[in-house]
Amino acid sequence: MKRLLVLLLLVVLSFSLLGAKDISLKIIQVFSSPERTKILENIIADFEALNPGVTIELISPPYETAIPKVNLMMSTEQELDIVEVSDWLLSGLVSMGKLESLEPYIAASTELDYLVDGVLKSARVMNDTAYIMPNAVYVKTLFYRPDIFARFNLKNPPSTMGEMMAYARYITNGKDQFGFDWRGIDPVNFMDLVVTSFFDDIDPECMYKTVDGKLIFEDPRALEGLNFYLDLYFNTSPKDSINWGFDDQVNSFVSGITPILFQDPDTTGLLNNLLTDGAYKTAALPTGPGGKAYPTFGFAGWGIPTFSKNKEMAWKFIEFFNRPENGAYFCREYGALPVDKRVYEIDPYFSSDIFAGWAQMFAHPETYPMTEYPIDNPAWGDWFRFQGDIQERLLLKRLTPEKALQEFSKFWRDAGLMH
Amino acid sequence: MNRKKGLFIFLMLVPTFSVIGFLTIYPTIKGFILAFQNYTVFTFGRVRFIGWDNFAKIFSDPEFLNIVWNTVVWISVSVFFQLVLGLGLALLMRKPFKGRGIYAGLVFYPWALSGFAIGLLWSWLLNGQFGIVNDVLVRLGLIKDNIQFLSNPDTAMFSVLLVNIWYGIPFFAIMSLAALQSIPKSVYEAAQIDGAGGFKQLVSITLPYIRPTLINTILLRVIWVMNFPDVIYGMTRGGPAGSTEILSTYMINIVYYKNDFSRASAVGVLIVLFLLVYTIFYLRISGGKELEL
Amino acid sequence: MKPRKVIFGTLRWTALSMYLLFAVFPLAWIFITSIKPPQEVYTYPIRYWPSKPTGEAYVYLFEFANFFRYFVNSIFVSMAASISATFIAMLSGYVLARMRFRGRYLLTLFLFFTQMIPAYLLMIPQFSMFSDFKLINRLSGIILIYIGLGATFSTIMARGFFVRIPETLEEAAMIDGCTRLGALFRITLRLMLPGVAAVFSFSFVNNWNELFTAALFLNSDSKMTVPVALYSFISKAGIQWNVLGAGIIIALVPTIFVFSFAQKYIVAGLTQGSVKE
Repeated sequence: MKRLLVLLLLVVLSFSLLGAKDISLKIIQVFSSPERTKILENIIADFEALNPGVTIELISPPYETAIPKVNLMMSTEQELDIVEVSDWLLSGLVSMGKLESLEPYIAASTELDYLVDGVLKSARVMNDTAYIMPNAVYVKTLFYRPDIFARFNLKNPPSTMGEMMAYARYITNGKDQFGFDWRGIDPVNFMDLVVTSFFDDIDPECMYKTVDGKLIFEDPRALEGLNFYLDLYFNTSPKDSINWGFDDQVNSFVSGITPILFQDPDTTGLLNNLLTDGAYKTAALPTGPGGKAYPTFGFAGWGIPTFSKNKEMAWKFIEFFNRPENGAYFCREYGALPVDKRVYEIDPYFSSDIFAGWAQMFAHPETYPMTEYPIDNPAWGDWFRFQGDIQERLLLKRLTPEKALQEFSKFWRDAGLMH
Repeated sequence: MNRKKGLFIFLMLVPTFSVIGFLTIYPTIKGFILAFQNYTVFTFGRVRFIGWDNFAKIFSDPEFLNIVWNTVVWISVSVFFQLVLGLGLALLMRKPFKGRGIYAGLVFYPWALSGFAIGLLWSWLLNGQFGIVNDVLVRLGLIKDNIQFLSNPDTAMFSVLLVNIWYGIPFFAIMSLAALQSIPKSVYEAAQIDGAGGFKQLVSITLPYIRPTLINTILLRVIWVMNFPDVIYGMTRGGPAGSTEILSTYMINIVYYKNDFSRASAVGVLIVLFLLVYTIFYLRISGGKELEL
Repeated sequence: MKPRKVIFGTLRWTALSMYLLFAVFPLAWIFITSIKPPQEVYTYPIRYWPSKPTGEAYVYLFEFANFFRYFVNSIFVSMAASISATFIAMLSGYVLARMRFRGRYLLTLFLFFTQMIPAYLLMIPQFSMFSDFKLINRLSGIILIYIGLGATFSTIMARGFFVRIPETLEEAAMIDGCTRLGALFRITLRLMLPGVAAVFSFSFVNNWNELFTAALFLNSDSKMTVPVALYSFISKAGIQWNVLGAGIIIALVPTIFVFSFAQKYIVAGLTQGSVKE
C-alpha cells in the first residue's frame, strides 16, 4: 500500500513537473516547399526529443503568399515565437518594431564563434543591430552542363564574362540550342552580377555604389556592362525568356536548351532530383573586365517577435538549429550554404563537385569580394518591380541603355541612397 | 403590409444580410478608409490620413491609362467570346445524344479548376521555347517558327484572353443550358406549325426566352472577370512591358512589390467605382427591371 | 430538307469534337505529366509518353505530403460552407423573389454591389477583424468567410430560380391550409430541387478552389486545404510539375462528382419543372 502511494506520488510529481515546463513554440518559415518542410520537421523532432515538454508547431505558408502573410501576422501580433525573415521582409518588420534585437543573446552565446565571415555583418544591416540569426546563406554562382558543353568540345566552364559570351554564342543555333539562361521576371541579381563585373571598385557595403561614393549607374562602365548583358539576351538566349521566372529557367536548364545559368544553391535540391549525377556542375562566377565578380550574400534567418512569450526557448532552438550537424543536414538536403564553418569540415558534400563554384569564390575573396544590397532602404521592394520593367523595355528595344541607366540613377537618388 | 408579413420578410433576410454586413460591408468600409491613409509596413504605428494622395499617385502613373484600356479589353473580349461560344456550345449540346453526360464532364471541367492552377498550367503549355503548344503546332506543320505567346507584348494579351475564354466558356454553357431546358416544348411546336426555320426559331423564341438569364449572367460575369486576376497573374503577372496589366493585377503588384496596402486599397476603390458606373449604364441599356437569374 | 439536316448534323459533330479537343488537351497533358518519372518531366525534345508510366507522383502526394488530411479538411470546409450558404440563400432568395415590399429592388442591387468589391480590398480589414475575434487558424473562421462569399451569389441565383416557378402552385397550397413556410418547403422547394442543386454546386466549386483566404487565415499544417497544399508545390526553387499535376487531377475528383450529381438536376430537372407548367 505504501509502495503504491509513493509510486502514485511520483507519478503526480513528474506530471506536475512536466506540466509546469510545457512550452509550445510556433515557427513560421517563408521559403516553404514540401521537402524543406520535411527537413525542418525532422530538426524540430530532434529538438523536441532533447527538450521534453516542448512542442513546436511549424507554419509553412505557400512561398508566394508568405511575405504578405508574415507582415500581417506580425502586425496583428498573432501567436509566434520564431519568424523566418528573408532579406525582403527584414526592413519592413524592423521598422514595424516587432523584431527583438538578438544582440544580448548573441553576446552571451558560445555557439557562434564559428560563423562564416560576413554572416553577422549582413545580419546587422538594419541599425547595426542583428534582428535575425541567419540560418543559411544564398550566393549565386555559375551552373553549367558538362554534357552539353562536351557536345561542342568545350571542356572547362567559362572563367570570364568574355569567355562566357564566346561559349554561349558558339553553341547557340537560334532554334533549339541556346547559351545563357536568361531571367525575365524579377531580374535584380542577374543584371547586377554582370554589370558590376565591369567594375573593380564596388563599395563592399553597397552594390550600387563605388568606393568613392558614386552611383555605379552614372559611370561609363555600367553602360558597357549593361550592353554586354543585353547582348547575352539578343544573341544567346531564347526570345521567350523575357517572361521567364525561376521555374522556366530551371526547365530550360534541365532540358539542356540553355546550359549556362546563374543561380542560388537551393537550385541544387531540385536539380539533384531532375538530373542524373554529374549532369550539372558549378563554377565560380565569371569575372568581368575589372578582373572581379561581386557576389552578394542573400540570407534568411530566424528572428524572435517582440511579443513572443517564450523568447528564451526560441533562442535555444535557434542555437540548436545552427549546430554544425543540423546546419549540415539542412543545407545539404535543402540546398543552401551553411553559416557555420565547421560544417564544411564535417560534411564532404560541401567540398564535392557540386560546391566547386562556391568553394572557389570563398577561397579567393580578392577576386570575388562580397558586397551588399541596400535592403535597408524602403524603396528596395519597389526596386524589384522597377528594374524588371526597365529591363523589359530594354529587351523590347523601347528604351536605350543610356536612358535606362538614367532612370536607375534617378530612382536611387529619389530613394535617398546618396545621403 | 401587416406586421406578421413584415416580420416574416425580416427573419428570412436576416441570416444572409447579417453575414454580408459583417463579412463584406464592414471590411469594405474599413478598406475605403485605408485608401485615404498611408498604411505600409514602414508606417505601421504611425498611420495617418493623407487625403487623396494615393489616388494622385495612381493617376500620375504614366501607365495608368494603358492599364484602364487593358482592363476594358480584358473584360469585353473575354465576356463576349465566353458568352457567344458558351451559348453556342449549349445550343449544340441541347439535343440529347449518347454520352452527353460524359461529354459534358470532359468539356466543363475547366470550370472546376482553380484560376491560379489554370494560369500556371497554361503558361507552361504556351512557353515560347519548350511549350507543348508550339511543339504540336510545329509538328502539324501549322507554324514554322515558335510563337512567343507570352513574351511578345503584341501576342501576350491575346494569349491570356484565349485562356480566360477557355476557362469561362463552361460557365456560360452551363447557365445557358439550364435556361434553355426551361423553355417549354410547346412554344417550339407552335412555331413549327407556323413553319419557322431553325434560325428564325433561335432569334424569335430561344434568345428572347433566355434573355433575362443572359442579362444577369453577363452583368455578374463582367464583375467577376474584372475582379479575378488569377489567370493573368499566373501567366504573365501583368507583363511583358505592362501589356497585360489590368487594374486587379496592378493592385496585387502594389501589395507584393511596394507593400503599400493603402495605395492598393485605393486601386480597389477605383475598381468598385468603375464597376458601379458600368452597372448603371448596363442596367439602363438592358432594361434594368428585368434583373433575375 | 434532308440534305440540310445532314449538313447541320455534320457541322454540329465537327464543332463538338473540335471543342472537345480544345477543352481536353490540357487535362490530358497534366495527366500524362503526372505519370512521368521526375527525370522525364523537362526533357527536350518533349516526350509525349513516359518511358515507364509511374504512380510515383501520386504516392508522393499521399505519403510525403499530408494530402489525405488536406483533402478531408477541404471536403469538410466546402460542404459546411456550401450547405449553410445554400440554406440561407434559399430563405432570402425566396423573399426577394416572391414578397412585394419596399426596398426589394434595392436589396437585390445591393447584392450585386457586394460582388464588385475586390477580395484584396477586404483582405487586411478582414484579417485584423478575425484576429480580434480569435478566428485566425480555425476552420470555422474559413467556413464563415466562405459563407459570406457564397451567400451573395447564391441568393442572386436562388432568387432567379424562384421567379421562374409559378406562384399559383403555392397559392393553391396556401388555400388548402398550408402556412407560407409550409408551402415553401412542401411545394416550392421540391420544384426548386434543380435550383438548390445548382446553387449548391456553384458554391461548392468556389469554396473547393478558394486559395488566398485559406492561405492567409490558416496556419497549421493539420488545417491546410487542398488548394493551399497545391500552391505549396510552387517553391522558391521551382515547380515539380508531375506532383502538381497529380494534385490537380486528384483535386478535380470531388468537383466532378458534385457536378455530375448536380447536372442531373440542373439540366434534366428544369425541363420537368417547366413541362408541368
